[in-house]
Amino acid sequence: MRFLFRRFLILVMTLLGLSLLIFVAVRILPGDLASVMAGLNAPPERVEALRSQLGLDRPLPDQYLTWMADLARGDFGRSLLTGRSVSVQVGDRAAVTFPLIGLGLLIAMVIGLPMGCLSLLASKPWVRSLVHVLAIVGGSMPALWGGLLLILLFSRGSGLLGIFPSQGFAQGGWSTPGKALWSLVLPALTLGLIIGASLMRYTRAALADMLGSGYMDMARACGMTRTHALLRVGLRLALPQLVSVLGLTFAEMITGAMVVENLFALPGLGSGLVSDLGNRDLIAVQSELFMLAAFFLLVGFLVDMIHRLADPRLKAAGEGGSGTSTRQVTA
Amino acid sequence: MAKQTSAEHRTGTDEQFGTAEQTDQVGSGDGTVQASDGARPGQAGSAGWALAASTDASLNQRTKSTDHGRRGLIWAIVAATVVVAFIVGFVLVRGRGKSDAAPAGRPSSKVTVGLKLAPSNLDIRNQSGSALDQLLIGNVYEGLVARDADNHVVPSLAQSWDQNADGTLYTFHLNPGMTFSNGHKLDSEDVVWSIRELVSKQYHNADQLKNLQSIEAPDANTVELRLSAPYSSLLWVLTGRPGLVFDKGASYDMKTQAVGSGPYLLTSFVPNDSATLQANRKYWGERKAKTPTVVVRYLGDDNAAVNALKSKDVQVLAPITENLATPFRSDKDHYQVQAGDDTDKYVLAFNSKGPKTADLRVRQAIRHTIDHQELIASRGGSDKALGGPIPSLDPGYEDLTGLYKHDVAKARELMAQAGYSPANPLELRLTYANTYGTELGDQLRSQLKPIGIDLKVNVVEFSTWLQDVYQNHDYDLSLVDHNESHDFSQWTSPDYYYGYDNPKVRRLYDQAMASTKPKDTSRLLAQAARQVSQDAPADWLFNYRVTTAELKGVKGFPLNLNQTLMPLRDLTYCPGVGD
Repeated sequence: MRFLFRRFLILVMTLLGLSLLIFVAVRILPGDLASVMAGLNAPPERVEALRSQLGLDRPLPDQYLTWMADLARGDFGRSLLTGRSVSVQVGDRAAVTFPLIGLGLLIAMVIGLPMGCLSLLASKPWVRSLVHVLAIVGGSMPALWGGLLLILLFSRGSGLLGIFPSQGFAQGGWSTPGKALWSLVLPALTLGLIIGASLMRYTRAALADMLGSGYMDMARACGMTRTHALLRVGLRLALPQLVSVLGLTFAEMITGAMVVENLFALPGLGSGLVSDLGNRDLIAVQSELFMLAAFFLLVGFLVDMIHRLADPRLKAAGEGGSGTSTRQVTA
Repeated sequence: MAKQTSAEHRTGTDEQFGTAEQTDQVGSGDGTVQASDGARPGQAGSAGWALAASTDASLNQRTKSTDHGRRGLIWAIVAATVVVAFIVGFVLVRGRGKSDAAPAGRPSSKVTVGLKLAPSNLDIRNQSGSALDQLLIGNVYEGLVARDADNHVVPSLAQSWDQNADGTLYTFHLNPGMTFSNGHKLDSEDVVWSIRELVSKQYHNADQLKNLQSIEAPDANTVELRLSAPYSSLLWVLTGRPGLVFDKGASYDMKTQAVGSGPYLLTSFVPNDSATLQANRKYWGERKAKTPTVVVRYLGDDNAAVNALKSKDVQVLAPITENLATPFRSDKDHYQVQAGDDTDKYVLAFNSKGPKTADLRVRQAIRHTIDHQELIASRGGSDKALGGPIPSLDPGYEDLTGLYKHDVAKARELMAQAGYSPANPLELRLTYANTYGTELGDQLRSQLKPIGIDLKVNVVEFSTWLQDVYQNHDYDLSLVDHNESHDFSQWTSPDYYYGYDNPKVRRLYDQAMASTKPKDTSRLLAQAARQVSQDAPADWLFNYRVTTAELKGVKGFPLNLNQTLMPLRDLTYCPGVGD
């Protein structure tokens, strides 16, 4: 309980610091929303008028405090540009990005976990080499290139096979779930292949670590075969590491999927953030950044918690060890 | 003009690619979470686990495994080749014959139009950017008067108008029985209210409505607009935002909704993504919308846009770059590709008050050096050369391309007089927004090099450009697509970012605006434009012409000026007409 409380306190302090950092950082950028809205032929008076109409001329501490007060009430503000509430805007975009990442991770797990095990367990060395080469190729492939390749192969229109749509999200959004899912196939596959390759390497590394440990010797001494021991005992022990990797990958993908979103013209979180920043829609940008940062921290927090659930040794090692790696304990 | 504004959400492609590294980092797994694999980098693969094993059996296995490793690699290559061969074979067998089972001749109930630059909100009174005019004017909102495809003023809400002899009183006669899409009546009261609001709240382009003295509604179908002095652009200005008529009695959030009197209703709008227009069944006029649903999709990426057209996700694509349009042009059985005239002027401005570009000889040398035909050819050849500030669709146009002929020898001479040579080059900064791509900057740099100009190209975000160049005038050269029509007044305000000031030009422009005869206006504007071009405050790289690609069977999509005004009421699509 004390651990939970302390981690929570750290979370809150970090968020506060972050908010200040974000607030200052987005205001250092040159240019402002009023001039972007007014455009090229507007007289300077009009820019000034817009600026005060939008409240951009208020003193900075004042703006910061208002923002904080709103945040505390759970109000993320309203985009000055689109006039929509930031939480709705983020929600709409998350409805594209989160399923995309989820699907991508699912594909990654379907590919990465068995392949990772295979790369250690296959009795034929050439299978192991092949899997390893695939991991290196997949892991070093830029998302942009991989995605383009998939478009060339499978997209309707220019693709050779013409199966999946490659541009944009389904018109009706999730009200047409089939179409929505269909439009996420290629992007998710792009993400999944790349994450899958690295997940395979993580799986392999984590399992290889277990191979040398006493747990495996113990398991084999009890009569398990090597394969059996690795899958039953090794995988279970490697779980916390894999959870960390998956959790962090998920959080990282929120902005990391931007390249893929851009390539497939999906209205997701990453591409949205870039466009808001380009328009200097600061209210939206700062709240969006804050939300992302908070989400990232929360995922880290949750991963830590799951760690402790998945690996009782951590708890046993004492209340002080917050989020240390398993290896420290096994060593 | 502010095409760029709406383009802004599209900026940042560079940043987006920048984050590719971020994504890859997750992929390559270096350093972040668990690096245990990295501990034995060389032996990864077959030998990795064997280290950990300790029995003789596994040692034996290990010695074998190196032997197998090489064979394994060969196997892997063979397997990969087989897979690739299979895929290629499958594709070849399958062939590319895709047929479209569409009923021939029947008009489609839905047409999707692909555009490039998206509006970020619908507030046409505050938000700049031609993407808004393009979507809303003539479709959802209507003005007192409108423009035809040749940029001439035609009736709209006003069926006719009179003008007194000295050009200070305009009387508009409105159509009877007009309504907004919400059922409210549209009469002279709404017209007067809309224009008064525009002036009092100083909405976008309110400054274009010059010399306005009063606007009154003597009866429900008549509007009287009085000017303090004649203003020859008045009617044209009223075809744009200043002339739009809004419903006085309606209250709605203008950023997210649009309620007007036009042939279409805007039923949904997703910023930066799409807008859906439904035919207004209760439209007051005779010329109702021909297609029940028109969806406008914004496709910022050119290749994505081309894919959408190929897969028939969109039936119309405007604009498409000439280079990408080539395959469609040659496939005449399925597509129709045409270029239309536009008023986009790619202006390479020289800061007339800048320390280096204040020298007329330098500015003239640049104009003599730039090879416009080469620039145009590299863009596919459909754009037009433009020697001055007025494009062919605007009053006052004349061909000024002869004023500064491509003459590198003469340019070198001018540069030598100014004290520069290729051995002692003049360093200039070109700043422009990243919406225009990097090619133009590269081309200009290599074109200007031989005369002794070392051009540093600085591609920035549009908002940064606005601050540095537009507001602070901190630049040597700048490049912008000024796409607005009738925007010559830029050259008459010394405070504009060009820093250009010639009293003669200002006088000619004032006379042109005060003239009541269109012919005189054109003549005076032409004189002023010639003077501006001679003074070389800028080089006009070309007059961009917009290329539109459509599926065969699409009719009624405007070709001219469709990036600023895109009336869609006549748009129809009959699938199968071309097949």
